[in-house]
Amino acid sequence: MAEGGPKPSSSVKLVLLGEAAVGKSSLVLRFVNDDFQENREPTIGAAFLTQKCNLPSRTIKFEIWDTAGQERFASLAPMYYRNAQSALVVYDLTKASSLAKAKHWVAELQRQASPGIVIALVGNKLDLTNQSTGLESSMGGLSLSAAASDGDEEEEEEGDARQITTAEAKSYADEEGLLFFETSAKTGHNVQEVFTAIANAIPESTLKTRGGPGSGRTGGGAAGDTFGGSGGVNLSAVGETNKDGCAC
Amino acid sequence: MLSLSSLISKASSLIDPNILPPSLLNQVNGSTNDGQTPAVLFRSNFRLPDSESPLAVIPCELSLPTGEHYFGRLHLSESFLCFSSSAPSSVSGTSSSSSSAAGPPSCGFTLPLVAIRRVERLHSRSYLFALAVTTWHNDQKLTLQFNSLRSTCEKFCEALKKNLRSQMSEMKNLRMLVGSCYSEWLVTGGKSKDGAKEEPDAGLGMVWRYPGDAKKLRDRSKMRLWAEYLRENGRNITLIRQPTFHKLIRVGLPNRLRGEVWELTSGSLYRRLFNPTLYTDTLTEFSGRHSLSIDEIEKDLNRSLPEYPGFQSEEGIGRLRRVLSAYSWKNPDVGYCQAMNIVVAALLIYMSETQAFFLLSTLCDRLVPGYYSQTMYGTLLDQRVFESLVEKTMPILWEHLVKSDVQLSVVSLPWFLSLFINSMPLVFAFRVLDVFFLEGPKVLFQVGLAILRINGEELLDVTDDGAFISCLKNYFLRLDESAHPRSDNEKLRAVTRFQELMVVAFREFSGITEQTITDQRTKHKDSVLSSIESFAKRTTLRNLGPESKRLSTNDLGYIYDRFYKVLYERQERLVAIELEKERLNEKKIMSSARSIGEKSINEKGRIGLGPSSQLMDYDYFREFLAGVAKWAIADSPSQLFSPGLGGSLDPQWGGNGRKKSINLSPWGDNAEPADHEFMQRLFRRWDTDYRSGLSLQDVVAGLAGIKGKKDIMESISYFFELYDDDGDGRVDREGILRISEALLFITRRGWETPPNIGDQNRNGEGKGGTDPFLGSVSGFIRRCFEYADPDQQGKQEEVSTGVEGMDELVDLLDLASDDEDGESVKSPVKEKGAIKGKEKEKDEDTEEKNSLDIDPNTRPSAMSANIALDPANPLHITLPTFRMIVLADEVLEYFFETGFADSIVLSTDGSKTPSGRNISAGASAFGNLGGGGIAGAKGLRGVLDNIVNDGMRVAQEVRRRMDEAQKELERNAVPGKYKEDEEEEGDAKSIMEGDRDLLKGAEASVVDEAAKLAIKTGLPEDGEASGTLLGSPTSSLATTHVGEELRTPTTPMPTRVEFEMDK
Repeated sequence: MAEGGPKPSSSVKLVLLGEAAVGKSSLVLRFVNDDFQENREPTIGAAFLTQKCNLPSRTIKFEIWDTAGQERFASLAPMYYRNAQSALVVYDLTKASSLAKAKHWVAELQRQASPGIVIALVGNKLDLTNQSTGLESSMGGLSLSAAASDGDEEEEEEGDARQITTAEAKSYADEEGLLFFETSAKTGHNVQEVFTAIANAIPESTLKTRGGPGSGRTGGGAAGDTFGGSGGVNLSAVGETNKDGCAC
Repeated sequence: MLSLSSLISKASSLIDPNILPPSLLNQVNGSTNDGQTPAVLFRSNFRLPDSESPLAVIPCELSLPTGEHYFGRLHLSESFLCFSSSAPSSVSGTSSSSSSAAGPPSCGFTLPLVAIRRVERLHSRSYLFALAVTTWHNDQKLTLQFNSLRSTCEKFCEALKKNLRSQMSEMKNLRMLVGSCYSEWLVTGGKSKDGAKEEPDAGLGMVWRYPGDAKKLRDRSKMRLWAEYLRENGRNITLIRQPTFHKLIRVGLPNRLRGEVWELTSGSLYRRLFNPTLYTDTLTEFSGRHSLSIDEIEKDLNRSLPEYPGFQSEEGIGRLRRVLSAYSWKNPDVGYCQAMNIVVAALLIYMSETQAFFLLSTLCDRLVPGYYSQTMYGTLLDQRVFESLVEKTMPILWEHLVKSDVQLSVVSLPWFLSLFINSMPLVFAFRVLDVFFLEGPKVLFQVGLAILRINGEELLDVTDDGAFISCLKNYFLRLDESAHPRSDNEKLRAVTRFQELMVVAFREFSGITEQTITDQRTKHKDSVLSSIESFAKRTTLRNLGPESKRLSTNDLGYIYDRFYKVLYERQERLVAIELEKERLNEKKIMSSARSIGEKSINEKGRIGLGPSSQLMDYDYFREFLAGVAKWAIADSPSQLFSPGLGGSLDPQWGGNGRKKSINLSPWGDNAEPADHEFMQRLFRRWDTDYRSGLSLQDVVAGLAGIKGKKDIMESISYFFELYDDDGDGRVDREGILRISEALLFITRRGWETPPNIGDQNRNGEGKGGTDPFLGSVSGFIRRCFEYADPDQQGKQEEVSTGVEGMDELVDLLDLASDDEDGESVKSPVKEKGAIKGKEKEKDEDTEEKNSLDIDPNTRPSAMSANIALDPANPLHITLPTFRMIVLADEVLEYFFETGFADSIVLSTDGSKTPSGRNISAGASAFGNLGGGGIAGAKGLRGVLDNIVNDGMRVAQEVRRRMDEAQKELERNAVPGKYKEDEEEEGDAKSIMEGDRDLLKGAEASVVDEAAKLAIKTGLPEDGEASGTLLGSPTSSLATTHVGEELRTPTTPMPTRVEFEMDK
């Protein structure tokens, strides 16, 4: 970006939560290494990775805590989401129970994690549904699929394993004030966008800046109003990162 | 609010050690301490199954065929003969001395008795007592020379002989086991007479290769060394551990023997010996069944050591699936935990499915207890222990980590949980496992500490979690490199980083012993469990479902604590009682049973330790209720006066003076709960899944149903539905009586009556009591029958041709109400509407309402009662009728409005129920009365209890006398109206006098109370109304009966005792 001088850089702690085998580690692997492995060993305890994300006005360095998903590991989670500024709560959109678990996590975070934590709800494994080829922006995809699910909720086309409609998850996300995306770690669809949207949504006041004084406007502002205006903000942010190559 | 753990610790502090028998005491201590009873220690030293216990021990000198001699101690258990040397007497090797302080004894054996072919008494020339033992593998003869008094030696031999004989039956198992051991094949070259024709299964590695380069690992030379050792010192089941054995393990096991030696050193071999078919049986038994664990396992099968070719094949995946599933069925409390897949996958490379199954059990039960449990408390506990060891051994590093806010467990937790298998390259992880199975869990700590020590300098430069993790990740990747690449000394240069790690771990941290770990675990256990429990509580309460929203957070917390307290305390109590029973029944405790008991005491009893049963059966439920509602406490708790006889003990125990002080009542020190039909109904109602048990969620939903009712109508419906057995909206004659019984049952210890009712009836003392309730309940019964509908209209008319049809009676009623409301109501069902309308004006015109309900209907009511009492006329009331009847009576109305809900007291500030009612539910009637300082609480209580008991009998008596009543009625029914009115006055009088008689001896205030009772039941202000009230035959009978009963004070205590005996 041409802003002259180094952009301020700050690190953001992000934690991934969600039921076992919904693809948390795969999302991270896609984001960090732009890679995908079919059979990844389950995460034991938690894995730690970092990745930078360039925004127009600053650089965010994500410190990603990828946690184990199995129910009994839940008691370890506070150790990992402690001090987290953002969270990715992941569910498998081909598995109905995983959204229920995601809701539990959201409730847990809202009550126990740092106040003002930015939470994104992510439905993964979009490649297993019929919308896997969608290249539209997140918002576009949302409205499209919402319309589609209204039409043929029961009679899905062959090969569509979707169990959770976009509309259902989206309305929950709206209710709770969460960012919302449907992704595929396998194809990479929407993965960068999730992280960029989170980066934008982190209020500047909560950032511990390292590269220099926090200057200029932030992309998203407070978490609350981000979603409302996210269409515009996210789209521009997506454009930026695509050019910048967020993976560095 | 008290947390559960504090309650539990409080409870355990209440157990006076002086009154417990020693065996019980051991177990109680075992649960609060570290489980290090002598038996536990013995088993863990020799890696014995839980069924073994130390029966005899004798100092002894062991002479081996190879010429070595060791002094030590010989132990005998039910099915094992074990030896451990106290000090090496003829040890040549000293390289293992670095670990001798912490490591296992230099020589020893764990010999299953079944593997002993022969024991001979040696005719030595001296006075010495010596035995020659020939083991299963014929080529071996051990000489054991006892160093003890002759009598002790004789005794030991006697016991040995006896146990040897009892073990004969295991011979078949032994053959099977030995045949499956690779060592057997190795030594006999496959030509064993027991027929090990083909190479035994030594894991997936036989097909898909073992990890690492066999040449580099010098597998061949290792194999040769082992073959030599096994030939000289026995193999598998008869192996004798000499110092060389430890050295051979330290340098790394050869691939094909690795599985078997793991089995042997961990002791899982012995489990397999005694349960040869357990694995296959389990698989067969549960084949095709599903569970949550099975689903979880399925998810992870393809991601367990996926880089190993064996696990890219169906065969490998299948083995993994079977072992994990079988274990999850065998130990459903643990089920399946992620990381087990990785550990088992690693085991399967070196051993057969059956071997892996038993080794996994040994891991979960003994080596890393609680690691994979539901709460993973073992994992968290060991993290805490590890942190404290780091702090102690590397204070500078520790300080640095704390300062930089780096959490050690984020790196170390996966080390422990997956036993380093997915932290280090596999070849090295297996080397760690070799020592781990030999020396126990301390190895994990030693290796962990060594990793930090070796990387100490770099770690001091690290300032955040990320750098910390990547530093160590990097280290693991270079374990095969030279530790001293720039050294001039060639030998030093050849030392790999892994070798360096092992040396640091076992030499520098040799001070970390099993005892250290045990002590540290004990020290931190409580705080770890408490934090798990508060987390579990928080999560559970949040996920209790929508019903729970009707209760306050405090109430939910209280229910949660109470639920688990009852559950766990009772479980422990039952185990203790069971043990005590056994101890008394058989002088020699069945060791297996004891170890089971010990285990359940140790492993259960706290939420933090993971769930055992999460369901309350009916008895648990009673105990639970007794803690929250005073009506659920038995009237005459037997242990109050005879603790020795309390509970369900055999009478013979009473004579045993030593035991009489133990409270072995199934209720422990808690008040004995009542057992009433109402409680059974509640239980069934709450048991929504028909499991004959209540989960926490059931209990919360159930209590929410009572305490969280928004209005009186819901509360009335709730009660009605309890008695509507078939759910058809009707309650029959039996049900009506049961309802009234329940009403009396609930209120028999008093309840909060509203001040205004008190004002009306008892001159301004707003105190609760059963008294006014008796009248209301009898009125209730009467009205129920009065307004009941016949079950079948046609039949009804046939029977009652003599009288007016039921419909006409109803019409009469309607006319009456029409007068008041100007509303045309056609049936009692609609009548409810009228009453409801009236309800608002109730305060002003109670009298009016009374007259509405009763006065105009005296005659029809008599008639309807007549019909109602005829058993040939089945009848029922519907919910609207029930509602109407309840609302017609102020006392009942108030009972359903608040009394019923408030009779259950949850958290101390229960006033914060969502409905916002502000009645201090905690203040009981007793409290009020006793607090008034009028009478001694005891005297009052006695009197009230009597009243209560009488009240209980009222309803029963009513039923018994129904036939009589009916005959009586038939004679008087039609013309009897005015006559009855006269009689009623007499009745009322007699009641009053009866009460006075009874209460003569009591304190003055009590007399006052009784008088008020009489006034309330018999003499409402409105003369006419009172007349009708008592005009009902049922009610007059009932009230009369009260008088009678009160005159003969009951003695409920003996009956209660009998009841207990019966049980």
